[in-house]
Amino acid sequence: MQSTYKMDFTEELKKCVKCGTCRAHCPLFVELKGEPGSPRGRLALIKRLHDGKIKPSQELADIVYTCLLCKTCTVNCPSGVISDEIILAARDSLNQSMDQSVIKKALLKGFLTRPALLHSCMSMASLYQKTGMHNVLTKSKLFELLPDKLNAVTKIMPDVTKKPARSRIPVVTPAKGEKKFKVAYFLGCATNHIYPDVPVAGVEVLSQNGCEVITVEGVKCCGMPHMAYGEVDTAKEMAKQNMDILLKEDYDAVISDCASCSSTFKETYLHIFDEGSKEYEQAKQLADKTWDISDFLVTKTGIKPGTKEQKVKVTYHDPCHLKRAQNIFKEPREVLKNTPGVEFVEMKDADRCCGSAGSFAVMHHDLSMKVLDKKIENAQKVDPDYLATSCPTCTMQLSYGLKKAGSQAKVVHPVQILAETYK
Amino acid sequence: MVAKEQLIKDLEGMFGVQKVLKSELERYTYTYDSSFVSQQTEYFPDVVVCLESTEEVSKLMKYAWDNEVPVTPRGAGSGQTGGSVAIKGGIVLDISGWNEIVEIDDINMQAVVRPGIVHASLNQALSPFNLFFPPDPGSSAMATVGGMVANNASGLRAVKYGATFQYILGLEVVQPNGDIIKTGGMKSKALKSVSGLDLTRIYCGSEGTLGIITEIRLKVLPKPQARGIMLALFDKLEDSALTVLDVFKAGIIPSGIEILDDGGIRCANMYKPELNIPEVEAAIFFEINGTKAGVESEGEQVKAIAEKRARSVEWATDADRMAKLWQGRAVIGAASARTVPGKTRIFAGEDVCFPISKVPEALRTIKNISKKYDIPVVIYGHIGDGNMHTAPIMDPLIPDEVQRTHKVAEEIHRLALELGGSTTGEHGVGFARTSYMEEEHGKALDVMWAIKQAIDPKGIMNPGKIWKLGRE
Ligand SMILES: Cc1cc2nc3c(=O)[nH]c(=O)nc-3n(C[C@H](O)[C@H](O)[C@H](O)COP(=O)(O)OP(=O)(O)OC[C@H]3O[C@@H](n4cnc5c(N)ncnc54)[C@H](O)[C@@H]3O)c2cc1C
Repeated sequence: MQSTYKMDFTEELKKCVKCGTCRAHCPLFVELKGEPGSPRGRLALIKRLHDGKIKPSQELADIVYTCLLCKTCTVNCPSGVISDEIILAARDSLNQSMDQSVIKKALLKGFLTRPALLHSCMSMASLYQKTGMHNVLTKSKLFELLPDKLNAVTKIMPDVTKKPARSRIPVVTPAKGEKKFKVAYFLGCATNHIYPDVPVAGVEVLSQNGCEVITVEGVKCCGMPHMAYGEVDTAKEMAKQNMDILLKEDYDAVISDCASCSSTFKETYLHIFDEGSKEYEQAKQLADKTWDISDFLVTKTGIKPGTKEQKVKVTYHDPCHLKRAQNIFKEPREVLKNTPGVEFVEMKDADRCCGSAGSFAVMHHDLSMKVLDKKIENAQKVDPDYLATSCPTCTMQLSYGLKKAGSQAKVVHPVQILAETYK
Repeated sequence: MVAKEQLIKDLEGMFGVQKVLKSELERYTYTYDSSFVSQQTEYFPDVVVCLESTEEVSKLMKYAWDNEVPVTPRGAGSGQTGGSVAIKGGIVLDISGWNEIVEIDDINMQAVVRPGIVHASLNQALSPFNLFFPPDPGSSAMATVGGMVANNASGLRAVKYGATFQYILGLEVVQPNGDIIKTGGMKSKALKSVSGLDLTRIYCGSEGTLGIITEIRLKVLPKPQARGIMLALFDKLEDSALTVLDVFKAGIIPSGIEILDDGGIRCANMYKPELNIPEVEAAIFFEINGTKAGVESEGEQVKAIAEKRARSVEWATDADRMAKLWQGRAVIGAASARTVPGKTRIFAGEDVCFPISKVPEALRTIKNISKKYDIPVVIYGHIGDGNMHTAPIMDPLIPDEVQRTHKVAEEIHRLALELGGSTTGEHGVGFARTSYMEEEHGKALDVMWAIKQAIDPKGIMNPGKIWKLGRE
């Protein structure tokens, strides 16, 4: 079995002793039931493919793609099996040996790589929501490619008529007060286009806490969505461009407000380039420099909040790519607890996946909704004004879930509440 | 037996396509459990059905009976003996999705559950009532209570609380011909009943060979008020075992007595460096629970006894420290997989049980067997009841190592029989251990077979388990 994603399938698969512990932790298995829906089952089939006993097939691809990549099985595996990475590598391998379905190719290759197209599709999605003009949108490229997923997309997609963050933030924002750091702010696709208020707040908070902030231009999508669909080659191209741009100047840090982007920089790039290559060295440098924004605020700058009290009750949902991929979970809570007036309440199973996993919520809509319902139930029990989180796809999913449940609570990034205190 | 295509068609007709798994890929995921033997062979079921009601299970069994199709029940597939693998083909009944808690009666201290409920989930649900279901396998996070009953599972606290059978008040069982029976106190809430033959006891530990367990009435206990943990380190393996015997002689039954050998200590340190346990020949963890005063007084007595032979003794009642120490023991089963890079641990010859008087001798002999075949074996387990786990560390991709590991497992099983113990203290027979049954049971095996034939004359229930295939 070949994969561009660096993976020694023989060694990694050997570690699985089939104890079944992962059955206890996988948020999808609870809903799917049946061994093929368990991480152990998926790995057993990938091993069989690796052993040459079965051939790539649509059925196998379906099973391998029915995974949130939430890492819950990985962090709980007694034998140290890195299931989520094996899944990523297997998807890449399947991609190389199978006919690509039109959906994936189009959605990813021509989509996130071209920011302008992304924005126009997002805007159209929003238009669709508002007017219900089915025929206008079914004519658009995206929805032609996603006929049966159309409903799912339009249900989850938020209102995206806002101007992208890129056009609202200057390239250079000076530090307010004494300058302690010069940082690059990576504008990820989703916060830039869908939740532009997040980077606007992020830049403000960093500048208030002694950072000169550069919203570096020319960057691409981090590549995580491509990787999730086994498009490692495309992801590599994006990685190269991002690394060239972000490492060109000697920034003290590269900051991201998106858990997936930061975990991709810190972890995933290292898995797609050959050790010893120039790109691998760059990936190491970028990994060392990358910070999640809450982590940077708590660990490096310290937080000096503004004076305007917020008087809100807030709970926090841990994105998989922050808690399990980066072991960051105290820091966003610290940001919230340091925000004047915030009453912080912990909800049950705060670190359980919300079921969004990028486009999983679209591709496996019903399943994703079952995972979401559990999350929303727990959130509603603490009755918050805000459900904070640090990932735009979680935000999209949680917002949809809250709305569906008739809740008034809003989903925000922790820095958005902190930013309000400076107003 | 009906042809496979017809079988699938019939089952889809009876239960709907959603509940029937028939593709090669789906069926492959039912060819294994955690046992190494099951992973070295490929016993495909012809079809898998996932059912969640007594009526459906009864319908399935009537059909299987009429058509003489083998049926293998399956819980989480965490078993270590291939018990849930269909070695004669036919139908696998995956019952793990049927996980309802029907009733928790806190006043009468009992619970009624469906077989798919996972052990840890049940205890979570009991916790707000200050109750718990005491048998606690290391597989608590995934094992189903149905699987525990079928295997008569036990765990870390068996020394005080015993095995699953002690907590089963009654069962609902679907017979091989589809009839539904209720055993013991299934229909009553009495905590005791000696009315008639104890059928409950026969089904408990029957490994799916006598019928399908579809409902379970469990006795549950109030949670103890307090707990303390002691870690005693010994330079000589034998001294650790002798200390355990002295604790019993003093009239104290700790709620858990667990051992780690030097390999086990190394694993614990590798996996959780903050534990930093000195690498002596044996570490013993004593857990004592009960009332606060009782825990304090027993803890002090055990400490005094241990100090006679131990190099050092640590007694902890602080929650944080206790959690850390107990974790040191809990991670071993898993962490042993990581001891040697490129190798893994497998589940083979895992749970032999020795008379407690013979434990010191057994431990030394296992070490020698490991040396003889040059296969590292990490020893850990429930020394308090003589039930030892022996984890071979090997590379499953090297045929010679596989051969030697089989020999290690074989010798460990033989050792248990020679020393008057049992080849399995908790995991059961499955098809991994059928070859020891004659020797372990003699004529009693014929009586077991007579019972099997009376209940399942067509031999459709989980064939090839407990008794070798072909016995009929
Ligand atoms: C890491 C690890 C640690 C373990 N620790 C322990 C331990 O400490 N103590 C211990 O006792 N065991 C332990 N085990 C073994 C295993 O978890 C137990 O045997 C458990 O009871 C099996 O439950 P299951 O749901 O996985 O059953 P399965 O493995 O699916 O099935 C086990 C047997 O029960 C039968 N069966 C299952 N459900 C039913 C039903 N409803 N009706 C009739 N028959 C049925 C099956 O046919 C099979 O013969 C451990 C296993 C692992 C992997």
